[in-house]
Amino acid sequence: MRILLIEDDAEAAAFAAKGLREAGHVVDHALDGESGHNMAAAGGYDAYVVDRMLPKMDGLALLSRRRDEGDQTPALFLSALGEVDDRVSGLQAGGDDYLVKPYAFQELLARVEALGRRSAAPAAPVTTRYKVGDLELDLLTRTVRRAATKIDLQPREFRLLEYLIRHAGQVVTRTMLLENVWEYHFDPQTNVIDVHISRLRSKIDKDFDKPLLKTVRGAGYTLSDSD
Amino acid sequence: MLRLFRTTSFRFTLIFVLLFACAVAILGAVVYRASFGAADKQTNMIIDSEITVLADLFAANGPGMLTRVIRQRTAWRDDSIYMLIGAPSGAVLAGNLTALPPEALTAEGGFFDFEFERPMLDAAGRETGIEQRKARGKVIRFRASPEAEQSFLVVVARDVGAREFLRASLGNVFVRISVATIALGVLIGILFSRTLLSRVETVSKTARAISAGDLSRRIPQTGDGDEVDHLSANLNSMLDQIERLMTGMRDVSDNIAHDLRSPLTRIRNRLTDAMKGGPEMKEIALQATLEDSERMLATFNALLSIARIQSGEGAGVMEPIDLVAIAEEMAELYEPAAQDAGFELTLKTAPTPLIKGSRELVSQAIANFLDNALKYAGGGSKIELTVEPGAKDMVRLSVCDDGPGVAYGDRDRIFERFVRLEESRTTPGSGLGLSLVAAIARAHGAILRLEDGFAREASGGNENGLCVVMEFPAASGD
Repeated sequence: MRILLIEDDAEAAAFAAKGLREAGHVVDHALDGESGHNMAAAGGYDAYVVDRMLPKMDGLALLSRRRDEGDQTPALFLSALGEVDDRVSGLQAGGDDYLVKPYAFQELLARVEALGRRSAAPAAPVTTRYKVGDLELDLLTRTVRRAATKIDLQPREFRLLEYLIRHAGQVVTRTMLLENVWEYHFDPQTNVIDVHISRLRSKIDKDFDKPLLKTVRGAGYTLSDSD
Repeated sequence: MLRLFRTTSFRFTLIFVLLFACAVAILGAVVYRASFGAADKQTNMIIDSEITVLADLFAANGPGMLTRVIRQRTAWRDDSIYMLIGAPSGAVLAGNLTALPPEALTAEGGFFDFEFERPMLDAAGRETGIEQRKARGKVIRFRASPEAEQSFLVVVARDVGAREFLRASLGNVFVRISVATIALGVLIGILFSRTLLSRVETVSKTARAISAGDLSRRIPQTGDGDEVDHLSANLNSMLDQIERLMTGMRDVSDNIAHDLRSPLTRIRNRLTDAMKGGPEMKEIALQATLEDSERMLATFNALLSIARIQSGEGAGVMEPIDLVAIAEEMAELYEPAAQDAGFELTLKTAPTPLIKGSRELVSQAIANFLDNALKYAGGGSKIELTVEPGAKDMVRLSVCDDGPGVAYGDRDRIFERFVRLEESRTTPGSGLGLSLVAAIARAHGAILRLEDGFAREASGGNENGLCVVMEFPAASGD
């Protein structure tokens, strides 16, 4: 992916850019809102990572302007402001995701890659069936099968698996799951997500040879067929 | 005193006093004109009718009869004044005027006012002096026929001294009333402004004390529910909020200093050591530093959230929400984790009215209660999340467990920031969870308290469990 990182804190930007490059992405970096906007206008990016508070032009204004000019490149806001209102204003300005500083790099990587996936197949026909290895999920009949066996899932487990399978092959963090499956934006102290995952895992992986739902140490989970 | 004259209330009073004085003056003028105008008219009418009688007498009987009648009439001492003068001789034929008033010469045929002298008499009828009197009269010329050379000048007048005296004293009364009105008004104005001023002075004294740093001062209220009282009440509640915010700010900075300085020092020391040590030691130091910094970030975030919720800024949108639905979601989220930790989490709900609040914050509060129950109710076996109607128009949310509970003496303290009871020192946590909950409760107008939970027989009655209760006001019908 070609990623445009607009962040005025040079050290934080270098840290993020280094990590993203190591993960195989191409990263351009702008130090202020104006040059960031100009680089974005030149085009060719798969995702923007925009700090909200920037010199010369703040992140919200920058993205609103890009959206007004018809630029649909997915964007993730980075911000020290993390309350619900701030998130809402970020999403209203055209942001696709919102990450509160300080963040773990794995969290940023997972979210940026999730954004990239979204933009990679913009015109893809609406899929109602997903498949990872021999695991199949059908959105219309709301059924899950692995090999020929039908697996019974609770509604929430189904939504959890649906989110994982939509992001198959990508790392999905606990926060992403909490935000997207449960729609909460706070971090419980208890490892509630881990327990839900292990329950799901016991249903879809336990009786089969090859585990599909894997834990990524220090980051989260991934659903994939590869080893 | 100078300040007194500058007060608004005094100025208002002064303006009202002036307006009132004007009204009195106008009233006086109207009364004056109406009554004295009528009196003058009456005098004129009496004079005119007398002249008619005299004219008829003259026409029928001639000047001799006229002289006699006038002599007769002037024999009594009353308000009537007559004078008959023969012309052109100028001889005074009859009458009680000593001299023809000079005004009469120019006023022939019309009314005129004049002054005359009259002897003053004592009770026995003796003359004691001369007094000046005022009179109003008419002078007219009688002729036997239009061609007749001889004519008579007749003056018929009434003494108006009594009326003049009344006129003067009435004017006097009005002047006195006006003066009294103004004086009384100014006095009332001064008293009124003084009272008001003294109360305003109390307000500004309090304000000065607060500016000087005594944030606990409040404006005393008289309790009579007037505007100044209302103002004081509003200012006081504003001061309460400011004090809360200030205390919050101070707490945050104290807490940051307290809770972030020690791990920072720890990190610094550890890194200093690691620089001297071998690669293995460096690895350990880095790992510990990473953990420390993550804890610090969590603490920092919690502090910020508390501060923002307390300032009323971070509460987000308050909308009607269903506590039962939120409790169901939270129970569903926590049930597996509770089971893993050896607890049975049950949800008990009864239909309740909606409350006004933020789903995110209320969920966060419940998550906190459940986190705490899982962390501290060790030895227990059940956690119950209940949503039910509470006392009048309240919705009661409670999380109860059968763990060791909290000693009565500690119950008030645990909502304070960073308070971690001795028993919990060994478990991880920032000590901010419940103060975050307390901030959320305040933002929702909810009451937060602790009650006994489920007693466990195995503990021999020493452990009462714990209930965290949050009572939300039901959303009003609008």
